[in-house]
Amino acid sequence: MIELGDITPHNVKQLKKLNSVIFPVSYNEKFYKDVLTSGDYAKFAFYNDIIVGGVCCRVDSSDNRRRLYIMTLGCLAAYRCLGIGTVMLKHVLKLAETDGHIDSVYLHVQINNDTAMAFYKNFGFEVIETKSSYYKRIEPSDAYVLEKKLK
Amino acid sequence: MPSQLPPKENNLFKRVVKCYEQKQYKNGLKFAKQILSTPKYADHGETLAMKGLILNCLGKKEEAFDLVRRGLRNDLKSQVCWHVFGLLQRSEKKYDEAIKCYRNALKWDKDNLQILRDLSLLQIQMRDLEGYRDTRYQLLKLRPGQRASWIGYSMACHLLEDFDTALAVLEEYRKTQEVKSYDYEFSEFLLYQNSVYREAGRNKDCLEHLEKYEKQICDQVSIMEVKAIVSYNLGLKDKAEKYYRQLIDRNPSNNDYYTGLVKVLELSTDEMMANLYSEFVEKYKYSHAPKLLRLQVTSGDTFKRYVGDYIKHALRRGSPPLFLNIRPLLKDKTKAKIIEELVLDYSHNLKNHSKLLTDDENKEPPTTYLWTLFFLAQYYDHFRKLDVAMKYVEEVLDHTPTLIEGYTLQAKIYKHADNLQLAAKLMDEARSLDTADRYINSKSAKYQLKIDNIEKAEETCAMFTREGVSAIENLNEMQCMWFQTECAASFLRQGKIGEALKKCHEIDKHFTDIIEDQFDFHTYCMRKMTLKAYISMLRMEDILRSHPFYFKCAVLAIQAYVSLHDNPITETEEDTEVNSDGLTAKELKKLKSKQRRAKKKAELKEEKKADSKDTNDKKKADDNAEPKLDPKKLVQIPDPLDQAIKFLRPLQDWSAETIDTHLYAFDIYYRKGKYLLMLQSLKRARNIDSQNPQLHINIVKFALAVKAKADLNKAVSQVVETELEVLLEGMKLQEFNDNFIERNKNSIAHQSAGAEALNILNPSASDRVLQLCCNLSYDHIETELPVCAKVYKNLQKDTFGKVPESVIETYRKSCSQLFPLAAVFQDNQTASETNEVVSSLSELSVK
Ligand SMILES: CC(C)(COP(=O)(O)OP(=O)(O)OC[C@H]1O[C@@H](n2cnc3c(N)ncnc32)[C@H](O)[C@@H]1OP(=O)(O)O)[C@@H](O)C(=O)NCCC(=O)NCCS
Repeated sequence: MIELGDITPHNVKQLKKLNSVIFPVSYNEKFYKDVLTSGDYAKFAFYNDIIVGGVCCRVDSSDNRRRLYIMTLGCLAAYRCLGIGTVMLKHVLKLAETDGHIDSVYLHVQINNDTAMAFYKNFGFEVIETKSSYYKRIEPSDAYVLEKKLK
Repeated sequence: MPSQLPPKENNLFKRVVKCYEQKQYKNGLKFAKQILSTPKYADHGETLAMKGLILNCLGKKEEAFDLVRRGLRNDLKSQVCWHVFGLLQRSEKKYDEAIKCYRNALKWDKDNLQILRDLSLLQIQMRDLEGYRDTRYQLLKLRPGQRASWIGYSMACHLLEDFDTALAVLEEYRKTQEVKSYDYEFSEFLLYQNSVYREAGRNKDCLEHLEKYEKQICDQVSIMEVKAIVSYNLGLKDKAEKYYRQLIDRNPSNNDYYTGLVKVLELSTDEMMANLYSEFVEKYKYSHAPKLLRLQVTSGDTFKRYVGDYIKHALRRGSPPLFLNIRPLLKDKTKAKIIEELVLDYSHNLKNHSKLLTDDENKEPPTTYLWTLFFLAQYYDHFRKLDVAMKYVEEVLDHTPTLIEGYTLQAKIYKHADNLQLAAKLMDEARSLDTADRYINSKSAKYQLKIDNIEKAEETCAMFTREGVSAIENLNEMQCMWFQTECAASFLRQGKIGEALKKCHEIDKHFTDIIEDQFDFHTYCMRKMTLKAYISMLRMEDILRSHPFYFKCAVLAIQAYVSLHDNPITETEEDTEVNSDGLTAKELKKLKSKQRRAKKKAELKEEKKADSKDTNDKKKADDNAEPKLDPKKLVQIPDPLDQAIKFLRPLQDWSAETIDTHLYAFDIYYRKGKYLLMLQSLKRARNIDSQNPQLHINIVKFALAVKAKADLNKAVSQVVETELEVLLEGMKLQEFNDNFIERNKNSIAHQSAGAEALNILNPSASDRVLQLCCNLSYDHIETELPVCAKVYKNLQKDTFGKVPESVIETYRKSCSQLFPLAAVFQDNQTASETNEVVSSLSELSVK
């Protein structure tokens, strides 16, 4: 029922649709251009053959560390709590593991997003930092940095 | 002039022929020159002819015809000259002429196999069936050892319905065949032979033949199907039942097998049928056919239970064709109501409990709810409750904004609501979500054409057409008729009659080409033994222009020509080519200036294109022998109505059961003043639907025309008088109209037709006319948008007499309340708001 699929130039507009209803932040053209070249790091989630979710991440090599950063991971409201988020997150964790040189997986979560917090904590993520005024146009503007160490 | 050459020259001549056959045209010409340069043989007919033939192959048509004619004149008794002349005519597609040439050639060489074969091809192509039979007989006599001889002759007899001869010849041939274990060609032959038995009505022979040769026939399904039908025809019920059951077992999704079985078992009541279908529903759990058939013959609570099961299952599976399967049931109002209530109940339960029924055990996945909403949107769209449909489709897209079908459905609803701008926008939105889907790509192009955005439509199609050629050219090459038809309709709306006609002629040419293309199959099929397919191809080609695509194209062409007749375009005003039909003077002026501007722009663009084109392209254009259709020339014709008749004829021949055929015929003949033909079209239309609104208006117009015409020929006038009485059902004209209005009280289409007729009959009765045509209090008026839009346009066109602005404005306002989405009824402000929505839509989606 739940499957992951490729994001291609043919269907990338579906990702825009998804993100525009799932996230309060909007992403620029460059984001979508990069997605097309990121292979397994960007995936759609299909539920009964319909695109209902998407995950996009990238390798972050700053500070002499190799980390996997989750840029977006979300699914349509009507399709939550069905395990779709789990499938996407597991995919990310597996990518990180197979890479072999990834220290950790991390992401930002708006501090009032209890659902996401509960979701990520379930998988062993921990708050390592609070960034104030991380978001520019939305309230509250603070974000937690969540991380799961692999090594 | 002697036709016989001396040995040396004769040898050269033989080499010319050989070179021609091997396509060594240069050498052929060289040898021919050698003969012709001998003064004594400079006029040698057959050499001249051969030279001409070769030149024709090199594209030098004129010179070729010259030479061949000269050759023929010099040697009228030469089969070679006649044959060559025939070949030239054939290459010009003048088949009748070519046949004559071949016949002349045969006069001088009656057993020439090559000529006989060529002749037979032309004869079957032209459906000169008797000629074909005679030629094939000749060939059979000359070459009894060849398979094609036997098959060809029997096929000719078959087509002439001389079944006995056909069967006798086929049987003779069969006897000569050795039986091998797997021989597909022989299997095809047997099936063909069998089909002739069946067509001859020799059911018993047909069945015996099958039973005897069953083992050698590869196509098992065909065998069973024929066995079932023929057994039934022979009254062998047990056998027929057995075969039908076997067929169903093989393919439980074929409706024909079930209906065949019902016939065999002589099931007369719905209940008996339902029981039979139930048996198969149990047996073939995954097959839709018996379930859907059962829904046709059940009613009340039983129906409710079955249809509920069916729909629930499909909603869970998420099968979009669900509505398509259910749609035939909606003709029955009670069933429609049951379905509506059931699905509304599902949607309610799903929304509140995530269950289809409150006492279901398990929760449903979100997609079940999604498809339930989707179904409801389709349902209400079907019944043109467009506001409700719109509400549901919006819920669909809120629920799952990535569902592409949601956007296409919303586009369709907007189309039905007569807001084509938004419809096109949404269809393009759908397209952009999956640019690899050609179906949606085409849909989007089609919707662009509906808003007369031909350029965008072309751009859209170009994403899939071959690179390097313009999409328009490529689509023409690929005989993409839906595209060309929509283009024609758009040009016609824009008043670009010439362009519209160009498209219509291009489509017409596709049909001609398809008929032309048969040529290749006459020999191919015979060689490959695909005889049954061949026969059905011939029969299909015979009625090719009965195709709905042709109908659409012909109707557009007729409308274009009729409007040309009404508003001829002279050379001086060619650039003001407008269809003034239905436009006010102001609008006309605006349109004309708009067209002038557009034309200038187009010309500029054209110039640019021409500049950038390299010489290569030009050469290609030269090679293209087909004369290009020129929109300007197409409108400058003296006889538009006669041109219209050319498109009408095939409709009269092949689409006579469609009332529009006869309504258009009337339009043409009325303008031509042909009373008997008008009468004929009226009578034919009346036989289809005596209460058709347009027919009613036509009858009134006809009656008045007859009255006004004093100098009708006596005999004609007598016929017309008598028949007119029949048309008017013995009533006076006024009474006839009153009666029509009274009889069709509840139909807005009829009432407005009555009003139109009343205005023609009595222009001073305007109060009553307006009362009739502006009335909007009917049951289900919300489903009558097309008629209301037509009435509104007719009000502006003075079809109902001179109508005060205020009346028109009141009508518009009432309609805009009834049809809030419809663009026609929107005032300027709402229209510009729509435009804003249109432009903001694209931004929204990229947010
Ligand atoms: C966070 C999100 C991706 C979870 O997706 P999902 O498909 O609903 O998650 P799953 O069904 O796989 O849930 C997995 C587990 O997460 C936890 N969880 C998910 N949603 C929860 C909620 N609303 N409250 C509490 N726990 C929750 C549960 O423990 C759940 O396990 P369970 O169902 O066995 O109890 C989804 O809610 C979402 O798209 N939110 C909006 C986008 C977003 O905020 N993304 C995070 C920033 S990148």
